[in-house]
Amino acid sequence: MKVNTRKIQKLNTRKKIIETAYKVFSEKGFSVPSSIIAKEAGVSHGSIFAHFPTINDLLVSLLSDFGDKMGARLHVLAKKTDSVENLLKEHLKVLKEYETFYSRLISEINILPDEAKNTFAIIQSTVAFHFASVIECEIEKGTVKKLPIHMLFNTWLGLVHYYLLNKDFFSESNESVIERYSSELLSTYLNLIKNERRVYE
Amino acid sequence: MKTCIACGMPMEDIADFAANDPSKDYCIYCSRPDGEMQSFEEKKESFTKFLVMTQGFDENVARKIAEGMMRKLPSWEKYFD
Repeated sequence: MKVNTRKIQKLNTRKKIIETAYKVFSEKGFSVPSSIIAKEAGVSHGSIFAHFPTINDLLVSLLSDFGDKMGARLHVLAKKTDSVENLLKEHLKVLKEYETFYSRLISEINILPDEAKNTFAIIQSTVAFHFASVIECEIEKGTVKKLPIHMLFNTWLGLVHYYLLNKDFFSESNESVIERYSSELLSTYLNLIKNERRVYE
Repeated sequence: MKTCIACGMPMEDIADFAANDPSKDYCIYCSRPDGEMQSFEEKKESFTKFLVMTQGFDENVARKIAEGMMRKLPSWEKYFD
């Protein structure tokens, strides 16, 4: 019984550290010292190291958790989707949900350790997986231009990331860039990739 | 919900499982045409190709990412000891 209680406590502390790190990293960036995360989480500094021997371990665990959550959300949504338009709408919905953290992540990804970078690439590969399966069908039907999948995917990400990275130019306050521009981003991208005459209309 | 032991994909519908068999612990994308699970090398190469095809990564970089992903999955842990 005692062992179980201790195990639950341990898991709860781990969860608390990850949740706090998510919030602190979103607000202050990834180079924030672990002592600040400990203070915000209400745990001792040593407790962070007991769970995550290095700040990199914490970062990778946090990114994996984030990727699992985002991947699971997208997986469920993508299953119901048969068009690139609906899939990208769902992608934007998921990004809006995690907008602050995601924006911070893409703005600092190049200074993060390799393992964190690779975890980010794996998160994107979940998105790419759903994107590729839907867009291949559309290319086959003739509704989307026959362009390489990676260029279609990277063009979409490039567009969305540009708005997120330059949020200060595109919005004045704390409003969501995704919310404000999602329909314009989506319609512009679809106009670029769709064939003018749909084969099956 | 089960997740694939070889790639981590969530498996909800029967069609997600190898050979449409929900008792399997791996998904359709990690199986060979005969329903058996792909080998370590086969999976590494197929994931590398997938990263190149869908995200346009450099092939060597993609291979390293594939290894990094496989390192964390139950089926492949032993290959990294």
